[in-house]
Amino acid sequence: MNVKAKAKKSIPASRQREVPGQDLKWIGQNMKRVEDPRLLVGEGEYADDIALANMLHAAVLASPHAHARIISIDVSKALALPGVHAVMTGEEVAKVTGPLPCFGSPPVEQRCVALGKVRHVGEPVAIVAADSRYIAEDAVGLIEVEYEQLPVVADLREAVHAKGAAVLHPERGDNNIALQRSFKFGTVDEDFANAKTIVKRTLRWPRSGAQPLETCGAVADFNRGSGKFTVHCNTSMYNYVGWLWAVSLNVPAHKLNIVPTMAGGSFGSKLFLHKVPIIAATLARKTGRPVKYLEDRLENLSSCDHHGSDRYYECELALDADNNMTALKCDVIDDYGAYFQFGIGHHGNALSQITGPYKIRSVEANITAVLTNKCQQGAYRGFGSEVSNFVLERMVDAACDELNLDRLAFRRQNFIKKAEFPYFIPTGNLYDSGDYEAVMDKAVGMLDLEGWRKKQAEALKEGRYIGIGLATCQERSVFSSTEFWSLNNVPGFTLTSSAEGVSVKLDALGNAVVKLQAPFWGNSPETMAVQILAEQLQLAPSAISVAYADTDSGLSGTGPGGSRYTVMIAGALVGASKIIRNKLFLLAGHLLQAGKDKLELRDGKVMVKGTEQGMSIADIAMQAHFFRLSFPDEPEFDTGLDANYTYDHPLTTLPSDDRTDLGIFYPIMGHMCHMPVIEVDIETGKITFLDYVAVHDCGTIVNPMTLAGHVRGGTAQGVGTALYEQYDYDEQGQFRSGSYADYLMPKVMEVPPNVRVGHVETPSPFTEYGIKGGGEGGRMGTPPALAGAIEDALRPLGVRIDALPVTPSKLRGLIRQAQAK
Amino acid sequence: MKPSPFEYVRATSVADAVKALAAHGDRAKLLAGGQSLIPMMNFRMVAPEVLIDIGNIPGLDEITIGDGSVQIGAGARHNVVMASDVVRQHCPLLADAYSHVAHFTIRNRGTIGGNICHHDPASEVPLVLTLLGASLVLAGPKGNRTVPADTFFLGMMETAIAEDEMLVRIDVPFQPAGEGWSFHEMSVRKGDYAIVCAAVRLTVKDGAFHDVRVGFNGAGTETKRMAGVEQALEGKPATDATIAAAVKVAVDLSDPSDDVQADAAYKRDLLSALGRRALEQARARASN
Repeated sequence: MNVKAKAKKSIPASRQREVPGQDLKWIGQNMKRVEDPRLLVGEGEYADDIALANMLHAAVLASPHAHARIISIDVSKALALPGVHAVMTGEEVAKVTGPLPCFGSPPVEQRCVALGKVRHVGEPVAIVAADSRYIAEDAVGLIEVEYEQLPVVADLREAVHAKGAAVLHPERGDNNIALQRSFKFGTVDEDFANAKTIVKRTLRWPRSGAQPLETCGAVADFNRGSGKFTVHCNTSMYNYVGWLWAVSLNVPAHKLNIVPTMAGGSFGSKLFLHKVPIIAATLARKTGRPVKYLEDRLENLSSCDHHGSDRYYECELALDADNNMTALKCDVIDDYGAYFQFGIGHHGNALSQITGPYKIRSVEANITAVLTNKCQQGAYRGFGSEVSNFVLERMVDAACDELNLDRLAFRRQNFIKKAEFPYFIPTGNLYDSGDYEAVMDKAVGMLDLEGWRKKQAEALKEGRYIGIGLATCQERSVFSSTEFWSLNNVPGFTLTSSAEGVSVKLDALGNAVVKLQAPFWGNSPETMAVQILAEQLQLAPSAISVAYADTDSGLSGTGPGGSRYTVMIAGALVGASKIIRNKLFLLAGHLLQAGKDKLELRDGKVMVKGTEQGMSIADIAMQAHFFRLSFPDEPEFDTGLDANYTYDHPLTTLPSDDRTDLGIFYPIMGHMCHMPVIEVDIETGKITFLDYVAVHDCGTIVNPMTLAGHVRGGTAQGVGTALYEQYDYDEQGQFRSGSYADYLMPKVMEVPPNVRVGHVETPSPFTEYGIKGGGEGGRMGTPPALAGAIEDALRPLGVRIDALPVTPSKLRGLIRQAQAK
Repeated sequence: MKPSPFEYVRATSVADAVKALAAHGDRAKLLAGGQSLIPMMNFRMVAPEVLIDIGNIPGLDEITIGDGSVQIGAGARHNVVMASDVVRQHCPLLADAYSHVAHFTIRNRGTIGGNICHHDPASEVPLVLTLLGASLVLAGPKGNRTVPADTFFLGMMETAIAEDEMLVRIDVPFQPAGEGWSFHEMSVRKGDYAIVCAAVRLTVKDGAFHDVRVGFNGAGTETKRMAGVEQALEGKPATDATIAAAVKVAVDLSDPSDDVQADAAYKRDLLSALGRRALEQARARASN
């Protein structure tokens, strides 16, 4: 971004209340997770733990075909089976339940049970409620369906040209293009025209996804007297998008209460659950009994609505005569599967950091989203940005190879420098702060790069192939909402808020109960809330407990996603704590006969500054709850000691109408440097980890231990995406990854034995305490780091990595080709 | 993923189990460790009407030393066989192969007998028992009979066991002193089914290979031992050149197929690499 343009762009004033660099007691500590004890004794309550009286169990008849018209369905035998209470086809469901929620614009109609046509293997064709899951599955086996098969679209490049009967949603036009749009940010044509070097690559990112230990599940109840649904569900964003379930169920939102259960291990895959709870609720209304529907593993793998990105890229990178990167051009086809729930929000996400940590001044993005006969895309750790990280880092490594440049020095030369923040990138997003050289220097030092280079050279003499990878990637955090719609031709549902609420109550004994508006989704929301509230109110962590609000009692909230929760809950807790502190000081000031400005919080007490005079919070709380007449007859002294606070996104602006500027939408920018050391067995294609260093900068750290856990887990998922995992569909759209014998996640023997994690802390000037998000980082850096490591190991053979996953068979194939040259 | 309805019968002795098999015929399946059968039932790939549980038959899991052989009860859990000193001492090839068999928790439940009777073509134990010249003792209505491993293992998931029989014991002859052996495997992940595995037994006398037994899984042939490869080694100088020539024979004889995890070209590369590694290791282990 040139200076002139930057001058025109204004940055909203920071709303930060708690500045970084304070002397802190609880924030920054390696506190053990407060969630763990009840999880470890098996008393976390998951969806499958919910058992209501008279509860029925649902099972789903899944489509065996990738694309077919439903000619007829005969449910008579299933209905006749003893213990079966309801069997519903798509037609019957459609009489009472509408289409599923969709953020795509214009929306692509999806039903919880297919209506007229099936569009992917595993799509529900009929649903059953019975006394047990066993009987329900027996009944599923008795349903007879006649199909007329339709042409299948299973290849993303062929999908671009599909016509006629191969079109999945003919009502949208005679093609399978969900959305096609081109964007230019900055002087991209000029920069390519003036380039000294243009590096080109074709890259392929495979379809993978999160694998939660508990699949998606819901227990729904319908009260015929009140006409109200109660749905227990392991979904993430229930306070944000849960009301859209009500729309599907044809009831107003206040006639649906969503009760969150533990939603562990979601990694995005339960972000926007809809099909599962709506099937359960539809059957509950039909039978008048509570109904549990929990996907089995096959259903989750084939029909969870949350497969990850599946992209084909043709990329060009322009460099000037001094080897500065100036412009990036990406033509991408993205295989969205059969439906389009988030539109191309994943590409909006990617455009928040498309130029990475580098001073690339212009960008062209030509995006083609296609519909194919596969399970639709949803969210998976990275939400599309992990793909652009991979693509950019591959291009950077390619530039180094073609120009014979050092991978470290080239990056250093092109980094945005510490003094240049806040920094607008060409798409209009802002990077709040960063120190990329410090992160890379720390990683290089921790790894002992020189030492590994020597070992690498020695090993090569023995015919062993060791490689060292390097990825320096962005880790955007604190999701705001414009990415969902800013790339649509017709913006549609133009969300601009993605707030996070919290309720804090001090009870009569001065202990705190925090109520979150988001579920436990496998991270550490309770630990974060406890550490931040302990800091704010100077309470002992043991004096704080955490609960989860249902939608009836919940405030506005967005929940986890886009590495936002710690930053957002910090903002909400700072706001709520301020209200409570004011009340404490008001009451204590009256009782102690001291002015409010003379008071401070110290170790669970309100103290008169500079003295040993004070009152415990417990004593003040008792007064606040039960002794109203101890205080003046003014409303500010009214009974109670609690606060509700909803925190809006710390920094976001709107896109320009012509979308040459997407606005500030993902500004809280973390950074990482991953350096794996691997050995390749060139005869078998097997990869072994010898070392792994991951340094992350997530601003001020609340809990280094849990952050390191994120990094290690994300790294394991990155290893999966890079080397092992793929949802595999054959040419007929048959799904070949229907169990964990076929969908290969790395296990403990396949991940680095010790990911050595380092932290750099560059605080954000916009968030409370300078915290940035770090929930997705590992997976956003590991794939390009590993691709680079493999290339580095096989440099003597000249192997190039353009496609993932690099399975042993595929890697051996590349080596065989290279050896044949 | 729930099984179809079935009747459950718990056998308390081998005779009891054989009687139940006779009574229920092909409606019944024996349940041992259940590590293959139960998932197949949950996917409704099989739907036996009767399950005869042989997991509680006293003595069926014993490992004892017989006359020149280790006698392994069909009900012995994989992890018990793997950890057995007797097995390690007398049948080290079997112990070696076990380090590639499944995952720890599966080995805790799965039995050697169930593994053999299931006869997945990628499974390590049937290959190794064939090379070791093991005998399988089957109990039936007319008493016991013994079948050599060579003729016990038929096609994919097929064995010589009759519908009214059950496997009760595996007799594995001691490996002779001075013999070299080796087992090499490649799977995508540790514990997965092998893409290719190579097993070798041989001796080296006066600088030449003798008593050679070589077998592979994943080579696309249903016979496990490769006679052509054995001939290419038997009596030949114990040199790298002999090994290279034998491995080439293995690749030429093989007929692997493409699957989702591995293409045929990759499997041929593995036959070559793992075959060579196994032969080299066996040669190094053999005493001259």
